Amino acid sequence: MGLRDVLLGRKKLEEPKEDRLFALTTAAVTLQVELGLKTSGAAAIAFKPQSSGEFRSAFDDVDKLIDAVGQQSGSTIERTSDEYGFDWIVVHDPDLEDLVGAAHTLAAELTAQGFGSQLLAATFRFDGGEHPVYWIYGFKRGAYWPFVPTGKETRDNATELELKAKLEHELPIEPDLTRWLALFDAPV
Amino acid sequence: MVLTTGLLGLLYVIFAVVLFQVLNVGLVPMLVIVIGIAFFQYYTSDKLALAAAGAKIVTREEQPQLHDMVERLCAMADLPKPKIAIMDTPVPNAFATGRSPKHAAVCVTTGLWNRLEPKEVEGVLAHELSHVANRDVLIMTLASFFAMLAAMLTRFGLYAGMWGGGGRRDNNNGPPVWLIVFAVSILVYAISFVLIRMISRYREYAADRGSALITGAPEYLMSALQKISSQMTLIPNQDLRKVEGMNAFFIIPAKAKSAAAELFMDHPPLEKRIAALAEIAREMGRPVA
Repeated sequence: MGLRDVLLGRKKLEEPKEDRLFALTTAAVTLQVELGLKTSGAAAIAFKPQSSGEFRSAFDDVDKLIDAVGQQSGSTIERTSDEYGFDWIVVHDPDLEDLVGAAHTLAAELTAQGFGSQLLAATFRFDGGEHPVYWIYGFKRGAYWPFVPTGKETRDNATELELKAKLEHELPIEPDLTRWLALFDAPV
Repeated sequence: MVLTTGLLGLLYVIFAVVLFQVLNVGLVPMLVIVIGIAFFQYYTSDKLALAAAGAKIVTREEQPQLHDMVERLCAMADLPKPKIAIMDTPVPNAFATGRSPKHAAVCVTTGLWNRLEPKEVEGVLAHELSHVANRDVLIMTLASFFAMLAAMLTRFGLYAGMWGGGGRRDNNNGPPVWLIVFAVSILVYAISFVLIRMISRYREYAADRGSALITGAPEYLMSALQKISSQMTLIPNQDLRKVEGMNAFFIIPAKAKSAAAELFMDHPPLEKRIAALAEIAREMGRPVA
């Protein structure tokens, strides 16, 4: 945001930074070899729907494209919404690359239609430890952070920091820990 | 914090220079004003600090456990019971303020209360009560007051020398007098700033020792310090979707924190405090790993 925007009070929402999503596919090797964590075969992308007709029609196009891409890679796609008013697109595919690809397609297409700032986060689930490990990608921040829920509203900070230490060099990890917000009961 | 303190002090110096140079206030009235401000700070320190932190004084009914804990520790330390305040923030922290044990207040954050074990909270409270017992507010007010006085007197000496000893001739080709005066006062201030930090760090070690003696269990203060400074306490428990409403959250760019040099820190580094506490534990015959 430039000085002029500040002076004129024209605050803009951040455009999504979807480019760095793919870093997770390389980090997946370390996750599996060093930590025994494997993708659970599911990922979910959260966005805030708008009630305007423009958004609806733009989203329909994106939705069709997601289906087409899903059919090509053999992934199944579900749609759901949550109590916070966010819509989720849930992708099931044993291949992590297809999951990341689907998230990227959705983000890139929504951005192209001018609704990129509605994107919130993509979350990828990994299993193999005591608790499920989620890697949350914040579209506004352009970075990943770990999330290890242990209960309804509790999380395992020690494991999360360990994950950060292990993957810092391969993954763009959010440096500001106060932004490592939780996504409890995500639909994956 | 360092920057704030530094800037505040700088403001103080600029204020004094303006009074002295521009408004032509004499040395004596200026001394009166500066000493007046120092006294005001000293006498209102408890209320000022609590108000600045946005802390709320809590009664026994609101926080019976906290009151019990402080009362027990005060009995051990032979101190009158201070006012107890709570600050609503998830960051675990505590502070003590007030010019004398009779006018003291201790404040803990909700983060400290919720995230630490009771024994650890006790260690932290005992540390703050030691600050009260050691009269650290008085010491720090005096320390910074003398620093101010030193800066001011240097300036006065320079000023007198320049104008008294044929300074007018030099003034024609050299830089303006007020500029030299200003530069020297800032230099003196910078040096005293470092010295004040050193005194402050020494008082922290003293309060750590005091806490160990009051509770008889330095290991809990050690684990409390480790918890407080650990990164874990930074990770939020809120849901991303809940805070999304606050737009500002997304706008402010992420910045990695840079480590400040020890010279400018008002608290000693954690490792040194832990090592000092382990030494105390050994002296007390309770060695800890």
